[in-house]
Amino acid sequence: MVDQEQKLSETKIEQLKSVRTETEDVILKRRSVRVFQKKQVPEFLIKRMLEAGRFAPSAGNSMPWKFVVLRDQEIIDGITQTIIETCKIYKGLIDYRYNGSILRRIIANIIIKSKPNDLHPVPFGAISLIADEKLGLFHNAPTVILIFADERGIGFPTLDCGIAGQNMVLAAHSMGLGTCWIGFPKVAFENTSIWRNRLGIDYPYKFVSSLAVGFPMGKPDGMVARPTHAVDWYEDGMKKTLY
Amino acid sequence: MGNLSKAEKKKIPRYDDQTQIEMGLVQFDLAKCNGCSLCVKACPADAIKLQDKKAKLNDHPECMACGDCVAICSEKAVTLVKSYRYSGRYKTIDQGGLELPRL
Repeated sequence: MVDQEQKLSETKIEQLKSVRTETEDVILKRRSVRVFQKKQVPEFLIKRMLEAGRFAPSAGNSMPWKFVVLRDQEIIDGITQTIIETCKIYKGLIDYRYNGSILRRIIANIIIKSKPNDLHPVPFGAISLIADEKLGLFHNAPTVILIFADERGIGFPTLDCGIAGQNMVLAAHSMGLGTCWIGFPKVAFENTSIWRNRLGIDYPYKFVSSLAVGFPMGKPDGMVARPTHAVDWYEDGMKKTLY
Repeated sequence: MGNLSKAEKKKIPRYDDQTQIEMGLVQFDLAKCNGCSLCVKACPADAIKLQDKKAKLNDHPECMACGDCVAICSEKAVTLVKSYRYSGRYKTIDQGGLELPRL
């Protein structure tokens, strides 16, 4: 009996050399979706996504997350407006590109020093695009899932929220839905208390990120090329670097 | 010394200087492009526009080489040419060449 099982698993591993698992396919074909159909996602599919999130691992199984599902266009639009208005203020203060403003460059560099992750070149550009209403926020997704972390969680609650979120993303894509991680609502929940009050979000919950969810337009999923990364590999007393 | 020199760690690059902040790049095969504009809508950097019913990169494209445009094109008209390369404190390190998913 044990011999048979072993032979079966060896064959399985041998097959994996030329074939991917379904899960791998979902992971590798997943692209962020920003063009959605108008139709709403059936309730049961969102609940299935939330289940995938519920079963994510977390430090000490503390499950330090709170999911808030928004299917109310008025609320989604409202949060969008707050973000646009905040970005307009930021743009005026810091976008020095192509306009010769030395003052803006000075202010930008000061903020970059104190918040290097927020004003990395990419979000820096995104702030201006959002201010000019050239970049969608939730991309007209019919459902938005906000993810809040319980800041009292074990270890790194934010990390656990990310893991739960990605569980939801992969479940969604495996069901033919499209998703996109949207981090910008941070400015709507941290710079102002309007939305925390409106949605009743109190201590200990802090905004982490959100997911735009909907049926994709066209076929956005598919495999693309991506840069490789240096990986340090320690084995048999040697170290190699693979890409 | 580590991955960044002291000077590099201190330097905040100019975000409008392509020699300091090199963005990614995609290419459009205009013969295949049918002007559907799905790539225009899919791009997270608003880097693509439609000109004369064909896809084209904007003047200062903030391309982050995500490949979403490549994937959504039904005509396979888009190719990812290069990824981004930042300098100074955001210096891109430990990155190799572009590869499709490998078995």
